[in-house]
Amino acid sequence: MFKYYFILYIFTYLLFCTTAKADGAVVDKVYHPYVLANEQELEWRLMSTKKHDRNVLAQRLGYGHALNERITLEGYIIAERDDQFSDFSWQAVELEVRWMLTEQGQYSADWGLLFELEKDRILNNWELTTGLLFEKEFGITSLTINAFVINEWGSTLKSEMEFESRVKYRYRWRPALQPAIEIYTGEDFIGIGPAGMGIIRFDKQKQLKWELGFITELSQATREHALRFAIEYEF
Amino acid sequence: MNKVIRHPKQTLKSQTRLWLLLVSFLSFLVQASTIEEVELNIINHLFVPAKLHLMANKKYKLKIINQDNTPEEFDSFDLNREKMVFPNKITHIYIGPLSVGEYHFFGEYNPNTAKGKIIVNQTDSIQGDKNVN
Repeated sequence: MFKYYFILYIFTYLLFCTTAKADGAVVDKVYHPYVLANEQELEWRLMSTKKHDRNVLAQRLGYGHALNERITLEGYIIAERDDQFSDFSWQAVELEVRWMLTEQGQYSADWGLLFELEKDRILNNWELTTGLLFEKEFGITSLTINAFVINEWGSTLKSEMEFESRVKYRYRWRPALQPAIEIYTGEDFIGIGPAGMGIIRFDKQKQLKWELGFITELSQATREHALRFAIEYEF
Repeated sequence: MNKVIRHPKQTLKSQTRLWLLLVSFLSFLVQASTIEEVELNIINHLFVPAKLHLMANKKYKLKIINQDNTPEEFDSFDLNREKMVFPNKITHIYIGPLSVGEYHFFGEYNPNTAKGKIIVNQTDSIQGDKNVN
């Protein structure tokens, strides 16, 4: 019976994939639909995208705190380098809420929701993202899928709705080293590449989580390459 | 950056697809069935019993009762589970279906004492410290 549900899911996902649209950086973190009570975290992310005529560099620094067993709240400061490569400054702030909808392992798959509200530091531009987070275990591997609907508006933006998706298929080899393949779709963008993550434990809830991915664009002749790296210190 | 303004029809298409996804999500939920419960206690920073014998290819609900006055965090990379258990509280963790083998778990707050393992066998004929309710 499960096979039919899974096929239905993949079919639905492919429907999304075929018309994915989004403006900003598509390659970013693939979210898991889980929340751990009492957890606090500091996070640093780096996204570097090599386009045919320039390099786009963005970093974000965040602090998160689980409000209860189901919901976690995280705030970010986002910094980007401008197109002239002359300045690297913080551009926006973001508030993120992740909501674990189902208990891990209770159903055939695990589900969560993500809400992000981003505000440009100078301009009165806003971006609201709502995302559905999915994860399913297949033995020692895990499939994670994120589907995002993005709304933008503001003084220099025309209101619009867009779509992005992110997929990660991970082999849980060892806690410190879990190789993966990641797929991203966005505005005129389909990318795929190797990735990895790992957890290094210290004491009690203290642990360091790392993620690394190198994504190559498939959708255009002038291939973009994106490198993403993230470090999370959980305590 | 030039923005692409989407036609209302496109927006409608996106929303329809989102609904399709949500429908598939609900279909996952409705297939949940009764899951056998297994009890695991935390007493004086020890898991009791420290060994659980379970059947292969079956889903279980692990009922973890923390009888200590301090928090503990159930952690198992083998089982791919991590959950906080507050002092004098009960929490549940769903595991399986598992293949035959051993799956280790520990308490993150007391990793030297709070250790245990789940032994998964093909049949239900295991005796001894079996603790299935």
